[in-house]
Amino acid sequence: MAKVSPVALGAALAIALLVSITIAVTIGPADIRFDEVWRSIGSHLGIGVSPLTELRDGIVWQLRLPRVLTAGAVGAGLALSGAVMQAITRNPLADPYLLGLSSGAALGAVSVLLLGAAVLLPLAAFVGALLALTLTLLLAGSLGAITPSRTVLAGIAVSALASAITSFVIFWSVTGDSYREVLSWLLGSLSGARWPAVAITMAAIIVVGVPVMLTGRLLDSFAFGDVQAASLGVNVSATRWGLLAATALVTGAMVSVSGSIGFVGLILPHAVRLLVGPGHRALLPLSALLGAVFLVWADTLARTIFDPREIPVGIVTAMIGAPIFAFLLTRRKSST
Amino acid sequence: MIRPEDHNERPPTVNTESYGPSSASESSGLVGERITITADGTLLIDNIDCTVARGSLSALVGPNGAGKSTLLRALTAVKLPASGTVHFDGEDLLGMPRRQRARLAAFVEQDAATDSALTVEMVVKLGRLPHQSLWEADSPESAAVVTASLDTVEMGAFREREFQSLSGGEKQRVMLARALAQQPQLLTLDEPTNHLDIAAQLSVLELLDHLRTTGVTVLAALHDLSLAASYCDHIIVLSHGRVVAAGTTEAVLTEALIADVYGVRASILRNPVTGKPVIGFSPV
Repeated sequence: MAKVSPVALGAALAIALLVSITIAVTIGPADIRFDEVWRSIGSHLGIGVSPLTELRDGIVWQLRLPRVLTAGAVGAGLALSGAVMQAITRNPLADPYLLGLSSGAALGAVSVLLLGAAVLLPLAAFVGALLALTLTLLLAGSLGAITPSRTVLAGIAVSALASAITSFVIFWSVTGDSYREVLSWLLGSLSGARWPAVAITMAAIIVVGVPVMLTGRLLDSFAFGDVQAASLGVNVSATRWGLLAATALVTGAMVSVSGSIGFVGLILPHAVRLLVGPGHRALLPLSALLGAVFLVWADTLARTIFDPREIPVGIVTAMIGAPIFAFLLTRRKSST
Repeated sequence: MIRPEDHNERPPTVNTESYGPSSASESSGLVGERITITADGTLLIDNIDCTVARGSLSALVGPNGAGKSTLLRALTAVKLPASGTVHFDGEDLLGMPRRQRARLAAFVEQDAATDSALTVEMVVKLGRLPHQSLWEADSPESAAVVTASLDTVEMGAFREREFQSLSGGEKQRVMLARALAQQPQLLTLDEPTNHLDIAAQLSVLELLDHLRTTGVTVLAALHDLSLAASYCDHIIVLSHGRVVAAGTTEAVLTEALIADVYGVRASILRNPVTGKPVIGFSPV
């Protein structure tokens, strides 16, 4: 079984990410060339002078670039969270969206927004994600042994509840265009992403995501379950709860700027596994990179495919992700 | 079922020089003392002592529910007992740091299974975890240990194969190699012959027998008393969470004890080829 070298794939994905970001910034109603993007970015970093008019430069620096960077960071964070959750719950169907974390985070975020405490947004999203995860695992546990299918069922219940409350809170307190608001939290949208969103999501990747990426060996030890991990000298419960809290934190940060975008955390780790195998030292960083590339393109599609109208990016990821989820379910059935 | 009182009392009816030390820290080998294990308020292991002599191949036998798995997990600190101490060569196994313990003692659980598409090599590499920091590259020494472990269990040719695609016997040999990659001095195994065909059962026991000659102390929970009698020096018999007998195989495995512990009639015969005991059973 020939696998791709993780280092080669990593290098390819890193280049693909840079190229994707640049191309994504050129795409849109205002026509901006590849080199103009780089020179505009350069001018803001103090290198050279922007070739663009003030308006067009603003489109690059104030609108498109922060949005594309946010898409990349959110994609990386969600894919990383999915890969970690799949490992520690030994559940190939685990994903921040399916297990209710994303909906819980969206509820937390919406609640503090409407209370007028936007500063607390990422924190509230984290608390929401953590509560939803705890609820999902408790519910799954109360059904008997925590199996993948029970966890997904519990996640659906928790997710539905959190989404309903989110919708209710928005309808109750927002007037005018509240449908749009509801949809962008429930389906996920990056249309409002500016530099603060870049700051929040990149901070989550650097402060929490990178240390999590270094735990690959620990995650490998969970392949045969808790008993074997413990016999290999791993502190099982500290590792499990520490990493679940970390994924809740990353998911919370991502959802606080994007709403709950589905299926990124589910399908991308599976794609990487097919390419390089199940070892987590390669799987975690590569999932993050592929997630970034994937969401940059998904969001570019979302804002251009029905130009001038924009659709929530979650619709695009669900259109791609749901059939793959169905495929994973059938494959699982035939293997057990 | 006949359960004479004397089998439930301690000290056990059968005793050998390796059993019942007064000072655990001075004894060599595995020494568990006053181990009590409870789960959800149920007493699973009731204040027992047990000893496995250094460099021996010993069997832990007993009916289902006797507490064999529970005791093995406690002896390797995979699941800490409610009370009691476990020492190996005088070192406190339960008190030492996890990683240090995993370098000293390896545990092969029953019917280990995974959903992951790990290759044989990756599974064996897991055994290097206690020897490596999280992010360092695999050292040449580590790679050599992995190769040597695979060779010991004669699975070197299967390195790149997917673990899940192997037969039960091959999987068990790989799990053994994973345990060996920890370079342990103590190896405990829970039902290592479970669900294996006869040839694979013998090959596992032959391997354990070989490990003993390299100085590893081996303790295996076994269901098959004839296998235990053929290969093991010492036998610990567990029933209802208590040690009812412990000592040399010849001394412990008597027809009376088997009848008492398992509730069946037992006839101890001789294997005409090996000369080892073979146990035949019939209903009471």
